[in-house]
Amino acid sequence: MSKKIVIDPVTRVEGHGKVTITLDENNKVKDSFFHIVEFRGFERFIQGHPYWEAPVLVQRLCGICPVSHHLAAAKAIDQIVGLEPEDLSVPTQKIRKLLHFGQIFQSHALHFFYLASPDLLFGFDAAPTKRNVVGVAMEYPELAKKGILMRKFGQEIIKMIAGKRIHGISASPGGVHKKVTAKERDYFLNGKNIPSIEAMIEWSKEMIDFIKIYHSKNSNWLDTFAEYPSGHLGLVNKKNGFLELYDGNLRAIDAYGNITLNDIHNDDYQDYFYEGVEKWTYLKFPYLKHLGREKGWNRVGPLARLNVCEGISTPLAAFERLAFLAATDGKTNNKTMYTHWARLIEILHCAEMMKELLEDDDILSNDLVRKGERRKEGVGIIEAPRGTLIHHYEVDDKDRITRCNLIVSTTHNNEPMNQAVRWVADNVMDGKAKITESMMNQVEVAIRAYDPCLSCATHAIGQMPLEISLHDHYGNLIDLKRS
Amino acid sequence: MKNNKTIIFGIGNIGRQDDGLGWLFLDHLKEEGFENSDLEYRYQLQIEDAELICNYDIVIFVDAVKNELTEGYYFKTCKPSSKYGFSTHELAPETILHLANSLYNHQPKSYILGIEGVQWNLEIGLSSKAKLNFKKAKTSFIENMLSPDSVIQN
Repeated sequence: MSKKIVIDPVTRVEGHGKVTITLDENNKVKDSFFHIVEFRGFERFIQGHPYWEAPVLVQRLCGICPVSHHLAAAKAIDQIVGLEPEDLSVPTQKIRKLLHFGQIFQSHALHFFYLASPDLLFGFDAAPTKRNVVGVAMEYPELAKKGILMRKFGQEIIKMIAGKRIHGISASPGGVHKKVTAKERDYFLNGKNIPSIEAMIEWSKEMIDFIKIYHSKNSNWLDTFAEYPSGHLGLVNKKNGFLELYDGNLRAIDAYGNITLNDIHNDDYQDYFYEGVEKWTYLKFPYLKHLGREKGWNRVGPLARLNVCEGISTPLAAFERLAFLAATDGKTNNKTMYTHWARLIEILHCAEMMKELLEDDDILSNDLVRKGERRKEGVGIIEAPRGTLIHHYEVDDKDRITRCNLIVSTTHNNEPMNQAVRWVADNVMDGKAKITESMMNQVEVAIRAYDPCLSCATHAIGQMPLEISLHDHYGNLIDLKRS
Repeated sequence: MKNNKTIIFGIGNIGRQDDGLGWLFLDHLKEEGFENSDLEYRYQLQIEDAELICNYDIVIFVDAVKNELTEGYYFKTCKPSSKYGFSTHELAPETILHLANSLYNHQPKSYILGIEGVQWNLEIGLSSKAKLNFKKAKTSFIENMLSPDSVIQN
């Protein structure tokens, strides 16, 4: 008799997902799936709205990374008013980047301290009642305090520029609404009210030191856990191929470092990507056309970005990248658990960039808006915390949006997360007589590394405990566990 | 209340009908010129709120409640608890208090004003029943705040 294992919902991720693993009569893995069980439909909601509303409306997709949606939409709308990213005023470019770095900084801090660190600090086998942020706060209070203040710092940057920490408004077509004042920026530099940007840099370095030591002590499982060959996709700087989070060309490589997408312009993404669909999930499967559905999928996010880039522009993060590369002898890194290390290097890069921008008097300027010649279409691509985010709009002569296509980071990571689930099923559960809570958690650990944001806009009310049920191949329930 | 530094969190989402009760309650306090407290709007509580409440003597959480309530609302003491939900979408007031206490050794007087809601669809505007409950809750709350025998004062 075959068994079906269901993890619903997957815990310590943003949004709601479900995993099913089907075992045959001998407890050998037959199938595994990572499902996205909620439907949003933003691409339809937005049709008929004036294009300038897009940056405000689409950020409601998410309560964790609304800034990323706001800025990706803004970049697309800039094109509709006739402006490429480099056509915007220098102060606008810098204010938007400061907003973006604040967003990635706070999102990465939230993920590492809140969602990922319990697995690293307590291990797979720790009791679920301990393996959470409350447990971290109890046993590692200084770490928890720094995590809280790093998250707060990024949130305060967002509030300064967009007016609110969540769902604020900064970007307008071809510009931003307001400049930064000297008083506002001093708040982040002088350390009187909150720890300064210098403290953020120091703490980011401490976190990287922690993860490096952790890797040296736990390489036996970190080097192999959910390791599988994959493509990697991300933006790179148009001039030098360095790590780029706000605006760059799209580059992809295969699992061995060979270029599969050679620095294409944002506008051309449709010439290179298709999106596959499956009956068992609402989430699509993007892939490179010329490689096909089986070979053309890519990871996105911190690990992919460090794989595709040729360097990092800020000195401290650049130094840490070298140590990261050395761990795989400079080869492309396909080890899922290294995503946490990569994420912390990006935290440091964001902190360095925030310092540079906060100390730049351009952000105090009133030169904020540009105008160009109206177009009918706009594409905005940005690196969100979780990976490459694509917004594409078409408008009619009455300024109404007629078509919208969004490819969000977690969509790119759909196939990689399914691969990660399959790895755990094959390597941890296959052939085992009993499926333990620790084994279940390892499925979630693999997914969690991608920091998936599954359906934030459909905020669920009330408790949704972890539920694991075993079914026979007729669908009959034979066992049930709740957290 | 006059001598105590107070923060009031309105929790919810005005785009989900009665889930907007918490925010609308803060809107009402603003309209009433309720200037003695800091007001914070939240879709959901976040971990950094544990640090924020350390600056206050009194914390009040206002949120919609799905359960049926005899009076249509309740106002009760909130105590720290280490209970933890499955994601960042669910961080309870009790957990925030627990984190504030364990990380910062701060334990403000804390209360929850829960107001019963009944409809949660993707629409703006309260249901008729929620409007009624909202009215009862705000009347009671304002009277309580202004009373010298206020629960919070004691």
